Amino acid sequence: MSQGQIAEALLSSRKALVREPEKFLAREKSEAEGGCGVIGFASSVQIGGRHLLQALSQMRNRGNNKGGGIAAAGLLPEEFAVTKEVLENDYLQAIAYLDESVRSELESRFIGATFEVDHVYRVPTVEDFKSIPGLELRPPEVYLYFVRPRAGLVKEFRERHRLEGAPADMVEDEFVYQNSHRLNQSFYGADKNRAFVLSHGKNLLVLKMVGYGDDVVRYYKLEDIHAHVWIGHHRYPTKGRVWHPGGAHPFVGLNEALVHNGDFANYSSICEYLAQRNIYPLFQTDTEVSALVFDLHHRIYNYPLEYVIESLAHTTERDFVLLPRDKRRIYEMIQKTHIHGSPDGPWFFLIAQSLRKENAFRLIGITDTSMLRPQVFALQEGSASIGFAASEKQAIDATLESLAAHDPRFWGRADSYWNARGGSHSDGGAFTFTVQPNGNGATLFCADKFGRRISVNGAKKTHFEMTPQSASSQSSSGGNGFNLKKDGFLAGELFQDVTGKLATWTYNDFTGFLENVEVSALDTKDAGSAVELLTLLMDRHYPTGGLRRSSLLSLVDQSFARLVQFMKQGYFESCVYISHNGSLTSLDGLRSRSIDEQQTVVIDARGFPQEGNDSVAMNIVRLHQEGVRRFMAVHARGHRFIGTGFGPETHGVRIDVYGSSGDYLASGIDGAEIVVHGNAQDQLAQIMKDGTLVVHGDVGQAFMYGAKGGKAFVLGNAAGRPLINAVGKPRVVINGTCLDYLAESFMAGDALNNGGFVIVNGITFCKGALKGDEDGDFAELDEPYPGGNLFSLASGGAIYFRDPHEKISIDQLNGGEFAELTERDWATVKPYLVKNEKLFGIPLKRLLTVNGEELHPSRVYRKIRPSQHHALQAEEAWVTNDMDNDVTL
Amino acid sequence: MEIDNKTIEQLITEKHTIALRRGFSVWPRGEFGKPPALGDFRWTADLILSTWIQAETGKPPTNGLEYRVGASGGGFDVLDFKFLPEDQWITNGNLIDTSISLNGRPYDKKIKISVPWYGGGMSYGSISDHVMLSRVRAAKEWGTYTSSGEGGYPDTIVPYKDNIITQVATGLFGVREQTIQYAPIIELKYAQGAKPGLGGHLLADKSTASVAKIRESVPWVSLFSPFPFHSVYSVEDHKKHLDWIKTINPAALLCVKVSTPTDVDMVAVGSFYAGAHILNIDGSYGSTGAAPEIAKKNIAMPVEYAIPKVHKYLVSEGIRDELIVMASGGIRTAYDIAKAIALGADGCVLGTTELVAIGCTRCSNCERGRGCPFGLTTTDPELSQLVDPDWGMRRISSVYQSFQFQLKDILRRLGLTSIRELRGRSDLLLYNKQHPSNDKYKMKKVSKPEEELRVEESVTDSVVE
Repeated sequence: MSQGQIAEALLSSRKALVREPEKFLAREKSEAEGGCGVIGFASSVQIGGRHLLQALSQMRNRGNNKGGGIAAAGLLPEEFAVTKEVLENDYLQAIAYLDESVRSELESRFIGATFEVDHVYRVPTVEDFKSIPGLELRPPEVYLYFVRPRAGLVKEFRERHRLEGAPADMVEDEFVYQNSHRLNQSFYGADKNRAFVLSHGKNLLVLKMVGYGDDVVRYYKLEDIHAHVWIGHHRYPTKGRVWHPGGAHPFVGLNEALVHNGDFANYSSICEYLAQRNIYPLFQTDTEVSALVFDLHHRIYNYPLEYVIESLAHTTERDFVLLPRDKRRIYEMIQKTHIHGSPDGPWFFLIAQSLRKENAFRLIGITDTSMLRPQVFALQEGSASIGFAASEKQAIDATLESLAAHDPRFWGRADSYWNARGGSHSDGGAFTFTVQPNGNGATLFCADKFGRRISVNGAKKTHFEMTPQSASSQSSSGGNGFNLKKDGFLAGELFQDVTGKLATWTYNDFTGFLENVEVSALDTKDAGSAVELLTLLMDRHYPTGGLRRSSLLSLVDQSFARLVQFMKQGYFESCVYISHNGSLTSLDGLRSRSIDEQQTVVIDARGFPQEGNDSVAMNIVRLHQEGVRRFMAVHARGHRFIGTGFGPETHGVRIDVYGSSGDYLASGIDGAEIVVHGNAQDQLAQIMKDGTLVVHGDVGQAFMYGAKGGKAFVLGNAAGRPLINAVGKPRVVINGTCLDYLAESFMAGDALNNGGFVIVNGITFCKGALKGDEDGDFAELDEPYPGGNLFSLASGGAIYFRDPHEKISIDQLNGGEFAELTERDWATVKPYLVKNEKLFGIPLKRLLTVNGEELHPSRVYRKIRPSQHHALQAEEAWVTNDMDNDVTL
Repeated sequence: MEIDNKTIEQLITEKHTIALRRGFSVWPRGEFGKPPALGDFRWTADLILSTWIQAETGKPPTNGLEYRVGASGGGFDVLDFKFLPEDQWITNGNLIDTSISLNGRPYDKKIKISVPWYGGGMSYGSISDHVMLSRVRAAKEWGTYTSSGEGGYPDTIVPYKDNIITQVATGLFGVREQTIQYAPIIELKYAQGAKPGLGGHLLADKSTASVAKIRESVPWVSLFSPFPFHSVYSVEDHKKHLDWIKTINPAALLCVKVSTPTDVDMVAVGSFYAGAHILNIDGSYGSTGAAPEIAKKNIAMPVEYAIPKVHKYLVSEGIRDELIVMASGGIRTAYDIAKAIALGADGCVLGTTELVAIGCTRCSNCERGRGCPFGLTTTDPELSQLVDPDWGMRRISSVYQSFQFQLKDILRRLGLTSIRELRGRSDLLLYNKQHPSNDKYKMKKVSKPEEELRVEESVTDSVVE
């Protein structure tokens, strides 16, 4: 039998599955939802479910307690009291009982009658669900059945549906799928919600309920259940008063579990597409049909993963044109055939796969073509490796922090963090993390949609591999002879000194040096220089010799955390430490005494809520009203809105943010200076009016949307849609690039006459495919701007691209045109590049050097300006000459 | 057609003679001698004229003009009230309360408005600051609000900020922390009923130097507001967006303005959970000169369907009293307001009505820089002189007075003492397809009764929509 005949026979075998197909053709989703918080990780070692807890609880503001779920693939047999053979070879039927009285009936009709049962396991739960705060509904009882389909029935199934030529595993898979479909029809539906199948693939488990995702871990006691691949999800459904766990994510096809953040516009069309193939969803949500489409393409059509991804997220526009010819041919066929099954709208999928044939497990993250949902990927490679895909970087960091605290093979910083460019020719907008067990251990293989491997420089050992005793062990050498003077040090000088010596240092030298820095701070009772030095070590890129950058950074983080601890203990007069432990006492006390203007208020964000009246942001506003001008927000964990709410005219205020800052940072500032030490999140600096924002890393979606002015300096990339609808005079330097839609509808006057502009340098410290920085040096990106939409519909301002090889082409512009870079242009932008050098250590001279030769700026930078010349209507022409105003026309 | 022995054209000329007496020195000469249009089936000549009479007298007309309904043959125009027999009417009109609260949540500031409406968003740029001043002064006099629209605050209206709703729309024009902190209510405009799926659009002609200055954009360039908010692609983004506004102005009430898609009930519930105090559902009859013809009335659900859908859903979710629902999109008369409330809204938002009060004839020339013959939808320095802010305020205020008078009369005849008792009382409404107003405009059924009404003869020579 050919692939096509098998697929046809499998699909036609489903005709008998539903009696009245019309009933299943839902025109509308039963429940609408948009938002969600997702995280997934895949690791070469099996990881306990507890490491989902912190990440999910920090993302609770992306859910609403109406649906949470997890998926785990690559389990440990002993944790379910089965043998390795049973776990690997048996189908794992996970059945949720909302009404346990149906169990014996269900078991006899759908388990005992169809399967040989090797083992039954009741998933243990906490005794009283009400002991978990916020849980309103009793979660379902879950039984796991480790089963093999009865051979006679499979044989009959094969004969009845003329599947004689199909491989045995495909027939068995389909048999299991249809059994579950019938089970769900019998026990779950509009009038009855008694039981349903959570998952039924081999070595794959899904658990879900009404509540938050982290409560699933707590209720089913998954803290110490181990798996290679985990996915966690919070749901945010909005319609319907009664929620059922059946609507929560993940949803399964057969060998995969899928969670989703987003909302489709074409749910009905996808249902039709599936119905044409005899597939009928039962739970009426976007996510279920996504899982069904994935299962159809992957299992029934047997498409390679790349084509499955293509059929979900099409490659379009310029990206399509840039594909190799043979890919274009196949992609075009896929698009023509499966356009109706392709979800339209904002979405981000995380998929956990259990690949029995390949004996592997996989995490897949796919973003939609337009990149409308937040998504971050990360990779840490060492003696154990782990890859992530999540809604927010802070969730990834939370997991790493949790792992690092329990497991010496992990540390607090990933080697690399990146965003996918949806539907692109460059990375395909999707990444996979495949865990392949081999003998005693397993390997982790990260690749993009096209199967190209992404790996950090694994040659460098991590600090744990090099110093097995402890990273913070005493070093008698005191940092390779660094004995800091009793009266302190100058951070800038010491930084130069140290980074010059790193090439010959061991981790012990480095930790010893950091200890000396801490001791010096305590001796001099001044944290200033130490904070400055550690900050430089965090922010800057420098050669790290034989040491792994992410390891060094995580050691710097630890040292910084100790300094904060000293601040808390009151060692330094120059700062006032504030924390939050359920009440505002430490703040209230503060208000009664005056704070010296020179003092820095250090806010330990950990105890503060991420938003709302009690948030870090609101407390900073209140302290500002008390006269405080200098802030440090430390240990940020997705805290939102930092720097907003001050109102007009806030020159002289400075906020330094450490940790994983949250969305909407600096949105609205009018004079303040905000420095983010690390990557930043989405929606930064919206409607910014004046002031300075410095980000020592990447920024997320919709950066500076509707900004009116101010200066912003970004060391890394901006994700999609930076500077959309910006007006006035924003001046921005982006040293990396943007995913797409840079400066759409930009309206920032005349760049040379008090208007706004963006300088894009198109450089990276991560050479090669998303590798981590190891030599502290930068290189040109392959393309200074990979997107197809640049400066679209812009009517004002300008973009200055560092593009010495003229790689940006006219077809990327829609409303812009190239113009010569004049002396006036250079005089306007140069001061920003000088400041850029000061902030990030990116020498202007280096930027002007191409292939070893320093060139005239006009040969390195290209100007793009609006091409639109609007012809005035006769009746308005006189007004332009008549107006008494100061706008230059 | 004649009223008081005067033709419509005579009435128009008379109106302009009175209303625009200050403006004739700057009146465009020659071809603008008379208004180019007077209404359509939704805003009939009767409605426009009676709104002008109300703007002058503060009372509904007594000369036979139909001031309660239009002649569209559908929607509010075929709804009537089931009034009680006269002997059961409430005699003392003073006891009747027309006020509503704009905050049903147990927390945050309580804001009450004396009449169940406020002014909808019209930006500086779409209208002149004189028109904005007229609107906000009337709002101040009546203890209600008017929305800033998406174009920032001209200096002249800043002193009235306590009666202004700052609109944050998708272009974020003129939106700064300062303007968000000005206002007691912040309106997040996600969509507009006249053109769902499209953002605001100020054509180049109207983006004058002074408009561009406030928006900080380039003059004489068309300004597009994107659709949707680039920072909001899901309901959890929506909540975050509202949280952001709350961080900037913690005391503000939050209003979410949306159009009326088929799942508007879901939008309502989502907005409730996102933290909105007010949901403004904007139906498809709403008017904007700048909306493309293909969008107008062709996309969103008519508001009279959307209101009960939202109302019932919120009731079934048990959150109806916590979310204030304001209806807009073609609310023209006091009767429309009462019907919208009976269908389930708390109150209404008025836009075009206020422009008609100060002279709009619905000629639909709003998108041109010097297109508005009455100086309303223009920031042209000469044309905007046609509207004197105090004159405009008096006229809008008089319409408010007449509307309140009529609402009290309606409540009195229904035996209700408060407008709040009317909410959701669709049982008090009667569907009347043979509404007399249709006859007046000479619309009649063609052979088959189920077929749509057909226009036999149009009343104006320029039906624009």
